[in-house]
Amino acid sequence: MSQGISLKQAEKRVFAATFQDGLWDIFAGCCVLIFAVAPFLTSTVLGDFWSSVVFLPFWAAVCAAIWVIRKRVVAPRIGVVRFGPFRKAKLVRFTTIMLIVNVAGLIIGFLAARSTGRSGWAVATVFGLQVLTIFSVAAFFLDCPRFYLYGGTMALGRLVGEWLYIHLGARHHGFPITFGVAACIMIGVGLIKFALLLRDHPLPDSHASGAEP
Amino acid sequence: MAEHQTDEAGLHLLAGIDQVVHAPARLMVLTYLYVVESVDFVFLKNVTGLTWGNLSTHLSRLEDAGYVAIEKGFRGKKPHTMIHLTEQGRTAFRHYRESIQRVLDDLPD
Repeated sequence: MSQGISLKQAEKRVFAATFQDGLWDIFAGCCVLIFAVAPFLTSTVLGDFWSSVVFLPFWAAVCAAIWVIRKRVVAPRIGVVRFGPFRKAKLVRFTTIMLIVNVAGLIIGFLAARSTGRSGWAVATVFGLQVLTIFSVAAFFLDCPRFYLYGGTMALGRLVGEWLYIHLGARHHGFPITFGVAACIMIGVGLIKFALLLRDHPLPDSHASGAEP
Repeated sequence: MAEHQTDEAGLHLLAGIDQVVHAPARLMVLTYLYVVESVDFVFLKNVTGLTWGNLSTHLSRLEDAGYVAIEKGFRGKKPHTMIHLTEQGRTAFRHYRESIQRVLDDLPD
């Protein structure tokens, strides 16, 4: 084992330590949950526009809650780290690629829907591939392998949803079932990881804090 | 004869190894500090698995050698300590890596 490899491992270990709180999983799960609930609002009380607007405060509340929890609960337990230039450059590349993938996905999805006359299978396949790409990019750049699983679950779930819609008459192209299940898995994993963090990293007591150099 | 000289060269390099860096706990601390910009005391304690007192002692030693800088402050009402590697510490760590690599490379099987 060379020194170079162990330094890379050390850097990865430090970065992975910031993901052990499960908050990213809960955040991703809440985003996916929107897809599960949105069809009900669109088809019942609210139209397309208002059913989208109504999620903005929900999304803002989730972001705010995660920020507060990370600052008040997580940071005192696992500590604070400022990453070096290697990781910062990787995160900049991640943000840029995510932006490109999302915009490209939006355009391809729009074109696929138009050219196939909103054929369920075509849209489901394109959507599945987009989601798989987005989560795979996130898994690779964030060194978080379970995001591959989330991407696969959602991509496959979308196809299963379409099958349920066609063969068993599931409502809203099976969105509530497939995305609801995916969201539950993500939020469940996040909550378990968060609970494990609280168990494994109790707050340092005041006596121990006094021992800081 | 040539093998004997190689052995000696390796051992001379070993004598020149920086003992402040070479101690396993301090080497671990420096390795983590080398790959980040800065960390706080709690994070360093968690990733290294050292106790409060042990980590505190090793950090003091590294600070005395001028390898790390320790910034004490407050987060709210609680004390908060940030630690980062100084340029001198970064150079010492790089030098240590090169030296130990050379020692191990020079040793015969």
